[in-house]
Amino acid sequence: MSTELEELEELDLSKFFDRPWVTIVWDDPVNLQSYVTYVFIKLFGFSNEKAHELMMKVHTEGKAVVSAGSREAMENDVSRLHEHGLWATLQREDANG
Amino acid sequence: MGEFKGTPATGDLTVALSNDELHILINLVEQLLELLGERNFAHHYQSDDPFAQLMAAQLMNMEPLSAPEDPVLNRLLPNAYADPEAADEFRKYTEPRLRQIKQQHLMYLREQLIFPVDHELPKADIAITDAQQWLIAINDVRLALAVRLNVNPESFERYENLPDTDPQKSLFAVYFWLGGIQEKLIEHL
Repeated sequence: MSTELEELEELDLSKFFDRPWVTIVWDDPVNLQSYVTYVFIKLFGFSNEKAHELMMKVHTEGKAVVSAGSREAMENDVSRLHEHGLWATLQREDANG
Repeated sequence: MGEFKGTPATGDLTVALSNDELHILINLVEQLLELLGERNFAHHYQSDDPFAQLMAAQLMNMEPLSAPEDPVLNRLLPNAYADPEAADEFRKYTEPRLRQIKQQHLMYLREQLIFPVDHELPKADIAITDAQQWLIAINDVRLALAVRLNVNPESFERYENLPDTDPQKSLFAVYFWLGGIQEKLIEHL
């Protein structure tokens, strides 16, 4: 396989063509900020800064979108977040913002 | 308050817990294991027994599974969709596995909580061989306790104003103590 093709494969095309679903993490008064940040890094491979930023968004705005993609992929993300005790749901991207 | 020694990298992380602290933690873990064991059919799915597999196949055709009534279970096994119909349908396929994963983390933690052979020792050094599993299990225990205590952002103030004789006071203390253990585990990861 050529390098160019490999690079193309690494691009997640679903992000451009088929992105009707998002995973949302909701704020709760129990989970520690450091724990939520840790889970974001572990599950999504975010940098420390990105994970912290998303955690603060959940905390201050009540929720944040943490991933987007196919319905199946979002169901998987929600399941993994539930395994870690975070409160998460999935929905269509355009449903109530 | 548990004192941590060592690092997970070298495989020698320990937390010093008193007998009372061990008792409390074991009790909470066992209560939660019992609660999670209710209405769990996960073992049917993975059995080699043809009859169990048939049962599992029937379960797959079952009605969608509604959210648990117990508020603790409802928090630990939350709806994946805002739409109740979609949530129940998803739950039918995923809840048994989610319960099983949570049970595995808790059983792992339970197995590591061993009283010292020498009962005269004020503290036992409990080995933490898998800090990540500890962290997730303790988080679930803390979530369960928080539901029972109705924890909200004003809880710390409420706790400080409770008289020492109030039974909730000691439960709150355990709740904050578990949060402290989590913070330390995260620092050590």
